[in-house]
Amino acid sequence: MSSKTRSLLGSEPLRKAEMTIRLSEFEIPPMQDALLVGKKAPIGPEAVRSMVDALSPEQYEIIRIEHQVFEAAVLKRSLLKLLPKDKLLPILLEECERVADEHAVVKAQVNIVIQVNRAVDL
Amino acid sequence: MQTIGEIMTKELVTVKPEDSVARVAELMERTRIGGLPVVEGGRLVGIISSRDIRRCHPNRLIADAMTKEVVTVPPTCSLWEAKELLERHGIERLVVVDGDYPVGVVTKSLLYAELGKHIDALTGLQQAAFLQRKALELLQDGKEIAIIFLDLDDFGAVDKELGHVVGDEILCRVAKVLGGVMEEGFDYLFRYAGDEFAVVTVKPLEEARKLALRMVNAISEEEWPLGIKVAASAGVAGGRRASPREGDLEPYTVSDLINMASLASTRAKKERRQVVVAGEIELREANCIQQCPETV
Repeated sequence: MSSKTRSLLGSEPLRKAEMTIRLSEFEIPPMQDALLVGKKAPIGPEAVRSMVDALSPEQYEIIRIEHQVFEAAVLKRSLLKLLPKDKLLPILLEECERVADEHAVVKAQVNIVIQVNRAVDL
Repeated sequence: MQTIGEIMTKELVTVKPEDSVARVAELMERTRIGGLPVVEGGRLVGIISSRDIRRCHPNRLIADAMTKEVVTVPPTCSLWEAKELLERHGIERLVVVDGDYPVGVVTKSLLYAELGKHIDALTGLQQAAFLQRKALELLQDGKEIAIIFLDLDDFGAVDKELGHVVGDEILCRVAKVLGGVMEEGFDYLFRYAGDEFAVVTVKPLEEARKLALRMVNAISEEEWPLGIKVAASAGVAGGRRASPREGDLEPYTVSDLINMASLASTRAKKERRQVVVAGEIELREANCIQQCPETV
């Protein structure tokens, strides 16, 4: 009797490991245009500040906020050139509080298109 | 006067802003300390309490969980000033600092235990040390004060003839009777020593004299056990805060004021008068308490 046959008969069970590897690029920083930090989230504003300062110095602004769900917002400075934070932040908060609670950290991608129509004298 | 520096816990357990909440929770559990100063580069940057810890995710940094506004005192702060700060801010501990550097911690329980030593166990009144403190505090608030010193007449005879147990009962009742004459927010009653009681009042000297008379009368009109007759004599002295003047080499102090009232009560006893008013003196500002600096 071959060793394979003995194994199939149950004396020694077969053990195999299957491996799946998914490769993707790590985003630096691992956030997009905005991040809203919930009041009871696993990381707080100071931790976010350390991360942002280390990974993308001077590219983000951290704003502490008085809100029932979120305690801080991290906004990409380049976005704030397109839209001031007093316009952008209320919209972000309104939308994010619909989908998140105070335990969450919400990542947001924001696309802003500026439309300009100008006329010149001919 | 006893200071916070004398009673504070000097063996400090501190944490860093970059520590995790989970690690600090474990440290608090192990050391059984409910609040820890947060220190960065030796400087105090916050305080973390077990309450803060409970409200936060264990993964968070202490920097994201701590209270950044820390109520601090210098080691020279008096126990009473520290007590007032604790009560005003509704907190459990004060961090003692030398500049920005923490040098100790005082908890509410430690402070109250120490202050309890200044409470007279028999009558429940505060003792002489607190009289000084209260008088200085009122002077610093810009108030004129008067000290009433009341001495029971021949009380030693009660102890000798009826025993100290009866004597103690009478002393307790004297404290209650006198307490009934006090006006809250104006008059503060203390047991000075033995059969001597003292009051610091913010009433003008003449009003203080009337109060002393009411105190003496309240004692003599009280029905005492075993038909004992209890009487008292009182002395009154008034004082107000004066700015320091050059050449004034012998400034009066609150101790002088208490002494004047005490001597006046002795005179009252000798002259068989109910109350003797010693007069009024100016107290130098330099003898008033130093304001306890506070970093909030």
